[in-house]
Amino acid sequence: MSLDFLNLNQAESKRLYGDYVKEIKNVISELPKNDQSDILMEFNSHIFEALKKDTTDNEADRLASVLDRLGKPSNVLKSYIADKNLQQATKTFNPFHIIKALILNVYNGISYSIFILLYLFLFSFIYLIFAKLLYPSEIGLFVSKSSFRLGTLDSDNFPYQEILGFWFIPVMLLLIVLFYLLITFFLRLKQNATSKIKYKLKSD
Amino acid sequence: MDADFFPKWKSQVKKGTLTLIALNTLKGQEYYGYELIEHIKRNTELEIAEGTLYPLMNRLKKEGLVSSKWIEQESGIPRKYYALTKAGEQVLTEMNQYWKELDKSIQKISR
Repeated sequence: MSLDFLNLNQAESKRLYGDYVKEIKNVISELPKNDQSDILMEFNSHIFEALKKDTTDNEADRLASVLDRLGKPSNVLKSYIADKNLQQATKTFNPFHIIKALILNVYNGISYSIFILLYLFLFSFIYLIFAKLLYPSEIGLFVSKSSFRLGTLDSDNFPYQEILGFWFIPVMLLLIVLFYLLITFFLRLKQNATSKIKYKLKSD
Repeated sequence: MDADFFPKWKSQVKKGTLTLIALNTLKGQEYYGYELIEHIKRNTELEIAEGTLYPLMNRLKKEGLVSSKWIEQESGIPRKYYALTKAGEQVLTEMNQYWKELDKSIQKISR
């Protein structure tokens, strides 16, 4: 089934409608083609039915109010895209997918902010590797009798002593891999937990 | 007190109960999207953007609670009809039961 666009009479309503459809297309451009045309058809159908019901004002005014009640596509279709991205992210281990999903889901709750914090750790480890190459004496794992500091410290800061030397870099690499696997693993756990609750609701 | 507190709380409750409202609307009756929204609006004040209902229906479909089918129309622009599935009916019964219990507990507490 293909999308039959509406027969609008006024130039103004044609422009409004065209802009709205374009906005929908932009928002859902990463969904599978089938889902995209389904969503477009459904919104198209909604607009058509809504215009048919109300015949008081002129076409462009009616269309404007119909679209206003529907809401901005970037708002209305957001939840759908966020779900989709998180699903994809945990399937692939691809960092860009995960970051994108995290940004989209950041409003979903504090738990995602914790994940973002974990990610910040990850990136600071990467940063430290480069910093170590540039300022070998000021970056490292500094240890004193009672505590330790990871990162930067002036080399003449007395009680602390750097203990890793250039082994610092492989250690950071190891931490990066560990954090990375940990984050993805937690994300999966979190998703499983939510779907199990839903499943329980269904089967109880 | 924040003057907006009550309206904000109300809209949260409405968002949270939209699933329950949509499923109850579909009980024993199929609707296409626009009709479903109109029906909900007639019976409750829907303060959210109407378009929000479509991703919601999509999610309910993925959960297996509703089914949907496109039906061609003479106008050339088909309608997508939604109906409750067997699983949807079962869950809805439990949801309504839970809603009643919640209402009872609140009445008991606020007495």
